[in-house]
Amino acid sequence: MTKQIELSGVNKYYGAFHALKNIELSIAKGTFVALVGPSGCGKSTLLRSLAGLESISTGDMRIAGELMNNVPPRKRDIAMVFQSYALYPHMTVEQNLTYSLRIRGIGKAEARKAAQEVAATTGLSQLLGRYPRELSGGQRQRVAMSRAIIRHPKAFLFDEPLSNLDAALRVHMRKEIRTLHDRLGATSVYVTHDQIEAMTMADHVVVMKDGVIEQQGAPLELYDRPANKFVAGFIGSPAMNFVPATVGEDGRSLAVDVGEKQTIVLDRQLQPGRKVTAGLRPEHLHFVEPGQGVFRLPVGIVETTGSATYITTSTEAEVTIVETSRRAVKTGDVIDISVLPADVHVFDDKTGLRI
Amino acid sequence: MKRLLSSVRDGRGFDIVLVAFPLGFLFLMAGLPLLYNILMSFQEVDMFSLGTFLRPFVGFKNYSDLFAQPETWPILGNTAIFVIGSIAGQFLIGFGLALFFWVNFPGASWLRGLFLVSWVMPGLVVGAIWNWILSGDFGVLNFMLRETGIISGNIFWRSDPNYSLYAVIMANIWLGTAFNMILLSVGLASIPGDLYEAAELDGANAWQRFWTITLPMMRSTIGAIISLGLIFTLQQFDLFAAITSGGPNNSSNVTQYWAWDLSFRQYDFAKGATISVIMIVFVMFASVVYVRSTRHEVRG
Repeated sequence: MTKQIELSGVNKYYGAFHALKNIELSIAKGTFVALVGPSGCGKSTLLRSLAGLESISTGDMRIAGELMNNVPPRKRDIAMVFQSYALYPHMTVEQNLTYSLRIRGIGKAEARKAAQEVAATTGLSQLLGRYPRELSGGQRQRVAMSRAIIRHPKAFLFDEPLSNLDAALRVHMRKEIRTLHDRLGATSVYVTHDQIEAMTMADHVVVMKDGVIEQQGAPLELYDRPANKFVAGFIGSPAMNFVPATVGEDGRSLAVDVGEKQTIVLDRQLQPGRKVTAGLRPEHLHFVEPGQGVFRLPVGIVETTGSATYITTSTEAEVTIVETSRRAVKTGDVIDISVLPADVHVFDDKTGLRI
Repeated sequence: MKRLLSSVRDGRGFDIVLVAFPLGFLFLMAGLPLLYNILMSFQEVDMFSLGTFLRPFVGFKNYSDLFAQPETWPILGNTAIFVIGSIAGQFLIGFGLALFFWVNFPGASWLRGLFLVSWVMPGLVVGAIWNWILSGDFGVLNFMLRETGIISGNIFWRSDPNYSLYAVIMANIWLGTAFNMILLSVGLASIPGDLYEAAELDGANAWQRFWTITLPMMRSTIGAIISLGLIFTLQQFDLFAAITSGGPNNSSNVTQYWAWDLSFRQYDFAKGATISVIMIVFVMFASVVYVRSTRHEVRG
């Protein structure tokens, strides 16, 4: 498989601030990659470095096999969709779309034809004569994407393109972008702080924190086997529960410090007596008949969404449970909960790494 | 009565009072003199009728007399050269400086602020300084031109009819450039940076970005600045008074100076008023352009 984008040993410094630390990333042609992480994690810096709007301090950056370290943005042949859309306010939609073509000296008629073709696929045909200020947020978003598509670039970069849209439109555009990506057979790098966006859209998710890639892989791989506590807590909603625990004498059970000490069975052998953190996803905790669970937990807060009930316990290390059955539970109840041994994640207490 | 009072305290009455005060002030201090000036341009005014308000009405006689005078057209021509030359110089140098400071090197904003000093200086002081610079025998300008080999003999900037107008234009460009630069800097700063990034990714080089992004985005600022420039240059009086006094032989005379000269030196108030009315038409035009371009600015 050819690699469309390859980063090796990439570092970026802003003065003394180390914004990107030893980034290793290789993206196959046609892949949809999501860069995800909390704000300030370096995901936008990484994207802007790919675009050439920031220069990298050390390391190699290759696009379609060519070394791009010192190539200016306009010669990289990549398109970017900005968070603010960055539409040219003094140009009509058509002029916005054809800007890159006109800059390249492509004739008026040909540019117009290209604009009409792209507009037809993105539903902008009726809006070609309008100015950006006359468009709704969703339409502007479409113009921004069409402007990228029209050039057939080597890669598409998206910088949180959906964050200015309302929730319903966001869910819709998510699918639209992914469909477009598949149809064009494009290579896309998508920055977001929303793990749901990353999980639903991407083939390959890169989780970043403080300029470091914490883990990268297929969405379910990250969900099933998070490499550390940060990734475990970041991927999945509601977030994973973390409770302090000690490995039992036999090495195959965990004494979990939640409410009264309770014991859960493991499916693997660990060093007896070791202090660890147990990670339990809310959706992996299930109600069972009294006396049959591994936990007995007092109910604190009950939130109902209709499709699911979120139960937060009143224990010191709070545990959230997502229950899809409509069991009547109220504050103050004590409930019995079970968990499958395979669904128990164990992390080192100090390093936070997966054991 | 009570309703009226409460309306004045909190309601439409309050708005009206707020608007009425400045409007009344404007009408009294600017509107009335303007109307009186227009009225006077249709009257016969001499030393004996100066004190009265209603003088003999003469129709357009003042206008026809004015254009019958041999110096009128040359002075109108001088005014056009002065206005166009000053605005062009102020705008081009101001835009150049604004772009230069836009690069934002260390100390750029500090240095840019320092440029405003020229705008703060009184016109008479600027005129006095330029008198030294332009001086025929020992002026710095002549020295520089001579040393660089551009001229062989001294130019008597202020007393040579071929150069006197340009002497004032030079001083006026110096005076107004900083103001142009500041307004243009504000305009440049209001262009979102991501437009340039988008254009760069779209393949535009610096020159193309300037022509396709910067200039069109600056259109309303440029419109405002040129109409303001027209108003300010038509107001420029101090420099003429300080540098050439309109001479020699009206070679550097312009309408605004001539109107003053006719009214207050030759006591021909009717002609002075007539010239002022002609200028009002131009300034009105500039004001309309200014208001239109700034309104567009607000709409974004």
